[in-house]
Amino acid sequence: MSAMALFAREVRLAWAGGGGPAGPAAFNLAALALAPLAIGPDAETLAAAGPGIITFAALLATLQPAERIFGEDVADGTLELYALSGVGLAIASLMKALAFTLAVFWPLPALAFLGGLAYGLEPVSALVLSAGLLLAAPGLALVAAFAGALAAGLKRAGLLIALIAAPLQVPLLVFAAGAGRAAMDGTPTVLPNLMMAAAFTLAALVLAPLGAAAALRARLE
Amino acid sequence: MWSYFANPERFDRLAAAMLPWTWGLTVLLFAIGLPWALVFSPADYQQSETVRIMYVHVPAAWLAMAAYAGLGVSSFVYFIWRHNLADLAARALAPAGAVFAFLCLVTGALWGRPMWGAWWVWDARLTSMLVLFLLYLGYMALRGAIEDEKLRARAGSILAMAGLINLPIIKFSVDWWNTLHQPASVIRFDGPTIHASKLWPLSIMALAFTVLLTALVLTTMRTMIVERRLERLERQRESRLEAEAAL
Repeated sequence: MSAMALFAREVRLAWAGGGGPAGPAAFNLAALALAPLAIGPDAETLAAAGPGIITFAALLATLQPAERIFGEDVADGTLELYALSGVGLAIASLMKALAFTLAVFWPLPALAFLGGLAYGLEPVSALVLSAGLLLAAPGLALVAAFAGALAAGLKRAGLLIALIAAPLQVPLLVFAAGAGRAAMDGTPTVLPNLMMAAAFTLAALVLAPLGAAAALRARLE
Repeated sequence: MWSYFANPERFDRLAAAMLPWTWGLTVLLFAIGLPWALVFSPADYQQSETVRIMYVHVPAAWLAMAAYAGLGVSSFVYFIWRHNLADLAARALAPAGAVFAFLCLVTGALWGRPMWGAWWVWDARLTSMLVLFLLYLGYMALRGAIEDEKLRARAGSILAMAGLINLPIIKFSVDWWNTLHQPASVIRFDGPTIHASKLWPLSIMALAFTVLLTALVLTTMRTMIVERRLERLERQRESRLEAEAAL
């Protein structure tokens, strides 16, 4: 099985299985809808809190389905087949995380734009926030996949993944939300924030699959 | 060198010989450091008596970070060479480091109230310490959730190494996000800016905390070695009883 075939298979599975992108999108939407009810309807407060709440809701949405990334493969023996396939577990982990980003997390940047408008951000600021999440989403997915590989097949894996992944995702939260806030305040740190988010995602692209593969290999021994 | 000390029997003998001295030194250093820091050192001209919180807060912060570094290094040693003692060290370091991080956060809150006028301020260094505390919790939760002993050690070592790689990035991102904490005043390239009358008690307290951590880790590791030996003996006894029953 080639890496591309594996990628295509994982995209199809992630799209079709377990509600696909609907789960995280609905979760994200619910979080965005509930936050103003807790904060209050004051427009200025909502706009000020907007980029932060939207990024935070997206981060939580990436943790919500993380258990699925490796959990089923460990349970049904797909993991052994991947290990024997000649692709290598690191490449397989990379393909899985990217397939998950593409098939399941694509609504998050779009919802960030709509959410930004709903929270009273200027369209340009909402677009910047959306771009920040677009750059951060693969990184968030990779870290979630790494945590998912560590916790695959354990009891209450979902809770464990959230506890492991959330602190590791802190930089992405800071940079993606920071880009949105900078755009809103008119400070010139929009581009640096976006570039830092991209840099973290690129680093995660290299390191997270290696970590996930090591965790999966430990399980196979 | 790793392999020489990786022998549990040899380690146990060495640790047994070291422990009374380590605990003795801990008591001695605290006996000197605590009165000096909390009673005899001069009050600050700006912060008055509250500056004394520093003598617990700052060493706790250092040791929380040092313990995580130790956790990462022993995890690396375990991951590469599979020495069980390295895993025991990681297992012993995690709760100790978490307690130091917690102590740092609590004393930070107590110090923040008179200095910043609030129990908790979202300042960069306190927030990084909070994230470090969460990293410790995640590590211990992962180990607690895995039943298989080998897998627990392997998964834990991978997570600790990932945390160690990510920690400077988290620290950088949180600094980027906000800073209002007083800048570091002891470990600087151009020498400490803190006055000698405070630097001395602070150094002794830092040393006391370090020796305390060493003593705690060594004691815990010895306990775990004994625990493991006990489990093995119990298993042997069970299988012998089963064999006798079969006869």
